[in-house]
Amino acid sequence: MKTLKILISISILSIFIISCSSSSDDEQSTIPEFDRSAVLSNYADNIIVPRLNNFKSSVDYLKESGDAFIDSPDITTYTELHNSWLEAYINWQYVEMFNIGKAEEIMFFSKTNTYPVNEGRIQENINNEKTNLSNPNDWSCQGLPGLDYMIHGIANSENEIINQYIQNPLNGKYLKVVLDELNNNTDLVLNDWSTYRNTFVNSVENTATSAFNMLTNDFVYYFEKGLRTNKIGIPSGVFSNNPLSTKVEAYYSSKNGIEDVSRDLIENALNAVDLVFQGKSSNQSPAGPSFKTYLDFIKANNVSADDIGSIVVNKIQTANQKILDLNKNFINQVENDNSKMLTAFDALQTIVVNLKTDMLSLFNVAVDYTDADGD
Amino acid sequence: MNTTIKNYLNQTQDSSSLALFRMGFGVLMTLSMIRFISKGWVEKLYLEPSFHFSFYGFEWVKPFGDMTYLLFLVCCVSAFFVAIGYKYRISIIIFFLSFTYIELMDKTTYLNHYYFISILSFLMIFLPANSYYSIDSKIKGYEFEKIPKWCTDCIKMLLFIVYFYSGLAKINSDWLIEAQPLKIWLTSSYDLPIIGSTLMQQNWVHYAMSWGGMFYDLFIAFLLLYSRTRIFAFFLVVFFHLFTAILFPIGMFPYIMIVGSLIFFDQKTHKKMIKIIDFILKFFGFKSKKIKRLKLNSNNNSIVLSIVAVFFIIQLCFPFRYLLYPGELFWNEQGYRFSWRVMLIEKKGITNLKVLNKEDGKSFMVMNEEFLSEFQERQMSFQPDFILEYAHHVGEYYKKNGMNEIEIYADSYVTLNGRLSQRFVDPNVNLMNEKRGFKNKTWILALDDEITGL
Repeated sequence: MKTLKILISISILSIFIISCSSSSDDEQSTIPEFDRSAVLSNYADNIIVPRLNNFKSSVDYLKESGDAFIDSPDITTYTELHNSWLEAYINWQYVEMFNIGKAEEIMFFSKTNTYPVNEGRIQENINNEKTNLSNPNDWSCQGLPGLDYMIHGIANSENEIINQYIQNPLNGKYLKVVLDELNNNTDLVLNDWSTYRNTFVNSVENTATSAFNMLTNDFVYYFEKGLRTNKIGIPSGVFSNNPLSTKVEAYYSSKNGIEDVSRDLIENALNAVDLVFQGKSSNQSPAGPSFKTYLDFIKANNVSADDIGSIVVNKIQTANQKILDLNKNFINQVENDNSKMLTAFDALQTIVVNLKTDMLSLFNVAVDYTDADGD
Repeated sequence: MNTTIKNYLNQTQDSSSLALFRMGFGVLMTLSMIRFISKGWVEKLYLEPSFHFSFYGFEWVKPFGDMTYLLFLVCCVSAFFVAIGYKYRISIIIFFLSFTYIELMDKTTYLNHYYFISILSFLMIFLPANSYYSIDSKIKGYEFEKIPKWCTDCIKMLLFIVYFYSGLAKINSDWLIEAQPLKIWLTSSYDLPIIGSTLMQQNWVHYAMSWGGMFYDLFIAFLLLYSRTRIFAFFLVVFFHLFTAILFPIGMFPYIMIVGSLIFFDQKTHKKMIKIIDFILKFFGFKSKKIKRLKLNSNNNSIVLSIVAVFFIIQLCFPFRYLLYPGELFWNEQGYRFSWRVMLIEKKGITNLKVLNKEDGKSFMVMNEEFLSEFQERQMSFQPDFILEYAHHVGEYYKKNGMNEIEIYADSYVTLNGRLSQRFVDPNVNLMNEKRGFKNKTWILALDDEITGL
């Protein structure tokens, strides 16, 4: 097939050259080539790997403070553990969308951020001194939500929780299992990038399995599912008869009054998405090759008349405002004034529309699943 | 007038033309079915989804579990029997029925070329394609030298309709003035060797291919009919279809059209081709013994002739049914299918249903993945009849699960040929109250733009 493609391509080229050799080339109608590899390099070198490194160091810190807490559970080590958990959870928001390469292979995002957790199963795991968490049923028993439960949820106040660890060493044992699992998974994903990086940046062909297309699909999928649905949609009851305040992200920390973090998490998640969309490594850095520059390129070449890139950037700002209108404690927000949650959901939904229809249509990302004749 | 028709019907054609076509068709169909099964599509498209989108009136046509494989097997074997001309009449009938049944099982997989296969195989039921060079004739001990000329002409006619009508469909402002959707598709074929980053990115190439494609479709059948342009036209056919084969994921279609257009060659060429095939078969040890040759296998049964005539009247009129509907055809897609509108629109949508329980006034959105496969969701999201059928299916599901009084609304956005996405379905219309059928769907919001043309 490859050689066939080359042969046909050459014959088409020669036919065009023969038939057009007389025509002048003074027209400025050529579309310059867009460098997709530059987008991937920017993403890999300035965004994905630095973010994974950040996440890794916060996981290291988390593990250290976890070990310290297990050794001597008291309010000082507890506070340290909570702080390091929060830092890791915030840094996680910057990497969850990259479900590609090793991350996809080991189901990194399912293992790290499946919530709500399965309390009953965690209790069983604790009592059975379970050490292997690879069963998919254990995805809701580990990762950052699992830690949220272990650090903030096994009793109803800081002191009671600390007491639980003093009285029952099995709690500390399981906490350590969860911390080690998270740490191992993070190592696997991060280390793989040293070799995967070059494959990644050169995998730009328009096939269902190229890195460029997979990253694009992951990005849109994450925005719709991980961000819009999980963080706002499900708790606010968009997909159910009633609001489900127990399904907010980082539920136990809010519930037991330790710290209200759900809004911080989604704020960071939206910022993370915004930076990827614009190709920025941080809010201060200039925009680089990205989905947005690709959309700008497509517009500049009249393939589309609309400025999808700017539309999305503006809508992200609007959505950010709607999120900042929310209470830092999503449980309270859902239970007391859910309409604001729904407003935030709608603001995110309009972005999903542009990403999923306009952007994917213009990129014409291949989904070679079955034959099609374009209808 | 009557005598002209009579004279025409009495004209004859060498029976090798139809025999060759039969073999080409049978072989390609056999390969198609093997390809389809081996790609795992039976499982993915017909067994995995819990729900299937039906053509209106054909709701009873459904996959039947693992036995669906048997259906594909029957279809494949009957295609092979057609190829070798064994029990031809019953084989082509079984092929037509099984193939059509497969296509009716789920309209998510609808493709124009599947429809083409269905109606072509229907037509072939009435053609004496086993008159010559077939197992049937070897068994009977005689074959026919001649068949009526209309038997090959009607295949040409069908091919003419496919090409010409798809050419007519290209006469619209999106295709000719905006060069859409080719502009989107060609620029994103950047990964083709050599031409991907060069030619495919040129504005003039997009226009050249749009206009070229239209002229090709409109005139290729004429060029094939006229003996002095035939060879040139056939090269065009091969070039055009191989090009589309590398550009788009259109499966077997290009090869079917290339082999199909061989029918336009004269009978001498067909005779030669049969000789070559005979030679090759002999080389592999299949000796065909000489059998008695009779003159003419006349097929001019008035029932057959009237069926074929009615068939073509329908084929000529059916694609124009869109004129009965108001609104933009590419947007509303009312009367879009079965009309040789191929590769005309780049459409993507996002559609979510909201279920309102009238008993307690509460509502919720449906997660599409709970009901549909990814492929079904993608197709459903921009096609109104899919959205309505899906809404009804979801409605029935929740009714069965204890909600007696429900309403269903769609939150739906669609982009068409590079236009900014806009709301597609009126969000205030309860889709449970809308009946399926051929009536104008008033709940589709109008496209904010105008596409002129046929």
